Amino acid sequence: MAEETKPAAAPPKPGPPPGPPPPRNPGLVTFTIDGREAVVKPGTNLIEAAASVGVSIPYYCYQKRLSIAANCRMCLVEMSNAPGGKLMPACQMTAAEGVAVRTDSPKVKEQQRATLEFLLVNHPVDCPICDQSGECKLQDYYMQYNATASRLDIPKVKLEKRVKLGPLVVLDQERCILCTRCVRFMSEIRKNPQLGVDNRGNHSVITTAPGEPLDDRYSGNVVDLCPVGALTSTDFRFRGRVWFLSSARSLCTGCARGCNVFLDYMRDGVYRYRPRENDLVNQEWMCDEGRLSYKPFNDGRILAARIGKSGAPRAQAVAEASRLLRAHAGQGTLALLASPVASLEDLLATALVARDGLKLSEIHVGGRPDGWQDGFLRRADQNPNRAGLEMVARAFGLAVKPAADLAAAIGSGKVKGVWAVGEDLPDPALAAALAGAGMRVVQASNEGALASAATVLLPASPAPESDGTFVNFEGRAQRFELAYWPRGESLPHWGLSAEVGRALGLTARWSSARQLFEDLGRRVADQLPGYEWSSLPSVDRRKGLIPLAAGTVDGRLPGQRERMPLDQSGNVQWSRLPSSREETP
Amino acid sequence: MSQAALQRLKERFPDAVTEAYTGPGGDDVALVKRESVEEVCRFLKSDPGMAFDMAPYITAVDYMGSEPRFELVYQMYSTTKNHRLRLRVGVPESEPVVRSVTPLWKGANWYERYCWDMYGIHFEGHPDMRRLYMYEEFVGHPLRKDYSLRGRQPLIPERQVDEPFRGPGPSGS
Amino acid sequence: MSKATQTAILPAPAAAGPLDAPFPTKRMLVNLGPSHPAMHGTVRAVVELDGEAVHSMRLDIGFLHRGFEKSCENVTWTQVFPYTDRLNYVSSIMNNVGYALAVEKLAGLQIPERAQYLRVITSELHRICDHLTLISAMGLELGAMTVLIYGMEARDLIWDRLTELCGARLTSNYARVGGVSRDVPPGWNEKVLRTLDRAEELRVEIDRLLTRNRIVIDRTRGTGVMSREDAIDYGFTGPCLRASGVSYDVRKASPYLVYDRVEFDVPVGSNGDNFDRYLMRMEEMKQSDRIVRQCLEQMQPGAIAADDSRYVLPPKPEVYGSIEGAMAHFKIIMEGIQVPAGEAYAYVEAANGELGFYAVSDGGGRPYKLGVRAPGWNMLMGLPQMMEGRLLADLIPTFDTINMIGGEVEQ
Repeated sequence: MAEETKPAAAPPKPGPPPGPPPPRNPGLVTFTIDGREAVVKPGTNLIEAAASVGVSIPYYCYQKRLSIAANCRMCLVEMSNAPGGKLMPACQMTAAEGVAVRTDSPKVKEQQRATLEFLLVNHPVDCPICDQSGECKLQDYYMQYNATASRLDIPKVKLEKRVKLGPLVVLDQERCILCTRCVRFMSEIRKNPQLGVDNRGNHSVITTAPGEPLDDRYSGNVVDLCPVGALTSTDFRFRGRVWFLSSARSLCTGCARGCNVFLDYMRDGVYRYRPRENDLVNQEWMCDEGRLSYKPFNDGRILAARIGKSGAPRAQAVAEASRLLRAHAGQGTLALLASPVASLEDLLATALVARDGLKLSEIHVGGRPDGWQDGFLRRADQNPNRAGLEMVARAFGLAVKPAADLAAAIGSGKVKGVWAVGEDLPDPALAAALAGAGMRVVQASNEGALASAATVLLPASPAPESDGTFVNFEGRAQRFELAYWPRGESLPHWGLSAEVGRALGLTARWSSARQLFEDLGRRVADQLPGYEWSSLPSVDRRKGLIPLAAGTVDGRLPGQRERMPLDQSGNVQWSRLPSSREETP
Repeated sequence: MSQAALQRLKERFPDAVTEAYTGPGGDDVALVKRESVEEVCRFLKSDPGMAFDMAPYITAVDYMGSEPRFELVYQMYSTTKNHRLRLRVGVPESEPVVRSVTPLWKGANWYERYCWDMYGIHFEGHPDMRRLYMYEEFVGHPLRKDYSLRGRQPLIPERQVDEPFRGPGPSGS
Repeated sequence: MSKATQTAILPAPAAAGPLDAPFPTKRMLVNLGPSHPAMHGTVRAVVELDGEAVHSMRLDIGFLHRGFEKSCENVTWTQVFPYTDRLNYVSSIMNNVGYALAVEKLAGLQIPERAQYLRVITSELHRICDHLTLISAMGLELGAMTVLIYGMEARDLIWDRLTELCGARLTSNYARVGGVSRDVPPGWNEKVLRTLDRAEELRVEIDRLLTRNRIVIDRTRGTGVMSREDAIDYGFTGPCLRASGVSYDVRKASPYLVYDRVEFDVPVGSNGDNFDRYLMRMEEMKQSDRIVRQCLEQMQPGAIAADDSRYVLPPKPEVYGSIEGAMAHFKIIMEGIQVPAGEAYAYVEAANGELGFYAVSDGGGRPYKLGVRAPGWNMLMGLPQMMEGRLLADLIPTFDTINMIGGEVEQ
């Protein structure tokens, strides 16, 4: 009998392979980059994760609101979990638990140098004539990561230099490094793929469909996105060097959205708007019409007061204006026409003078007529501060009346005198009606129908010439800061209203917008919960030198303060600078 | 270069010297607390191992936006031992006062007047705390970072002098 | 006449009468005002005179204050060089070199050998010019105008060589961060040797006219004395300190550039008076001549600036021909070289003493702070002590020999 061999007991089934160890910080990813520990949300790409610990990785094609293209190869870093020791693009790779990333190893440094060398192989020697000089990522990264001489000894590829893609955008095909940020912006953010890449290899170019213009209403944003000088704005082209421009943090006054902008100016006026990042309002974009809305700050300005048709010193004009206003107010035939283009501070001062000095009880709303609206940024209401005007009226107990009511009142003879703060008129019927009013005291910054028909004209200064607040259509109050002092004899509306008020006998004297808001802002404070007026410094508290403009697309300010971490008031944070000391043993 | 001196200073004044390091190029630097400046300088001058007998070069830096705002820098040298040391003393804006080292080195006199003139740092115990470069009626301290580059000084009336040949003399009369 | 009659004629010495009473003198205040031919630069000295003796003296400076430090905070690192020229304007290259050394210390740059030799050669040539200026001025003010003429001729010849090299006689603007700005023109070395020969002849002439001159010795020996301890206490450096007996020369104590490869002596005096200070400078001119000759022999052809595009402008063919050169040129000129954050103090032996530059960088293209330790400042501080109790006439040679240059003292 054969030995019965019991079948051996089945070996214990192997359990599932051991999973990865639990993350050190549950719910987050912990890894090291250049020896520094970073703790970030899962799914954060390495560029953002590195920025959060103060390591900067260079990149061209990456943009945090666009899809990942990873075609520039500038952000390659060494990762401990890369297959075969390959360098991985930091924009595409997400952080994984326990990974060691290095951006300062010789391999990475050589790769950065080589990538730049390749990008520069066919780049034209255009720095002297290129607008992007001073805010060009190629220049910046070359100095940081390459700084070696050229090894090219063959002619560069020649392409077209001045392709007018659209009404606002000009393309220089030779300068383009084909990061495709513009292409992705148009197709993903605007959902209007008007740009694409044509041809192959060295001869690839950005182009629109044959014969089609780049006429999207937000085409100007590709100029900001372009890291090099390939896409330039026809409005700003050759107008000035960016390192001479100063920047003020301001708001676009084109519509009720109040996109945050950098207002770039030089001594003689405003040169351009660049969008400022604000996730809640405009992300990083603005519409083309808003981009060009700075022009009235420079052109057609009223810089001297007028009585009738002849010029007069402002003091005399104010005295005459207050005399007329007092006369009409006494008879009850005065009406106030306030423009919602004026800032909150302007309207507070005006309302105070209107109620206490002139005993008015109604405020008629002027402003610009409605425009177009879309679902992206633009609002139909082209006045930046309509909500603010309503708040002020509520705070001072003034009834808000539409402009049509004023036209009717003038027509019926009830109103014979108008105090207009702001020169915008919402419809032409009102212009005609106003001609019928006997007396018009107008505070205006630009020439126009109302200004030319004024009995007394006081010169007002627009947004860049004062600190102030606009309340946008969502009820969000935003601060804008002063860029340069009022030009000529003009004053901001709050200053003019204060002068009128003093001539009427009120004690209305504020030395700055900040003081005015401290004084009168309490009245609207309940309607603006959580609003901090000093979220931007006021002109009397700004310290140090005015920083140069030329933000890179990231919004950093290069030039003197490029590597300085600044706090919100614009002061240098010395403690965050890397120290150049060696440790004593 | 003067590592030994730096170490000795650190050991002798462990609380006054908050930090001691060697900077780029081999400069030995010690960060010293404001209250102990006089004590530390006296030690540096009189101790035979340190022997910093030459009057130091005293200047100040305005790190506006950081606390303490000013930093006084004393660059010391010893002719006998040929070693150098740099002291950095943080001076806050709210109380810009430091003890003067003029009693120790006569040559520190004008440097401290310069720091007062340019930065507004006052030196207690200084024999002659007046402005050095600027005229007495000057408003402000020019080398501070918030002194405007495009400012204008107020116009001042001409000084009253009793006799034309008698102004304030060296002895004050 | 017999003795008896003699004494009878003269009145007997009586008790002191009113004619013999001491005069009540009043101290007189004299203002040696800022514009005065003998006050080098614009310095105001208010002296209280007791007869001709100086009772006390007070200095008033600040008339030439041009805001050097504030200006430097607002220009790029390279744009500071012309400002440094105008500190000690009679020997401007040493200012340039001192500042360049401070920035290179911060940046950790090594400069090529030829650049180091060129810096030393031009520094020593300017040192000779500075000493010639001082000695000529001293001779002039003591009444020896010939010395001025001889000194000016020597100085002019040296300036001619420097003009050929730098483009300017006085404000040379020669050094750059990373090296020097241009190389020598052909034949320059031989011309310099011939100029040095001629300068040496003139120096010997001046020596013969001044060093054993009765008037000069009477006016300078024993005047303007500063004791050794006081000199150190005031922070004197350079020839004035060495005249007081302390042998401290930065070139020997902590050699920089190529000073450790050349042989030269450093004269040390003993009395600390004006005459010793004058002798220091005469001897130093001889030694500078020696240094220049050795450097010209030792110097090899090579690069004159470090090969680092982040700090040194690329050559013009590259700037116009390649994008890399254009970008480097652009960024360096417009933003300034980006010097790593930190602070450093670099010092050179200028003609007057230890010239130090304290540079603070915030990591950007412009200095955050640039402080100058001017050697003349300390001597000027010690002037009232040197003059107390002396005659007013002693002020002239004293002011000469301490070599207070308005530009560096008042920045």
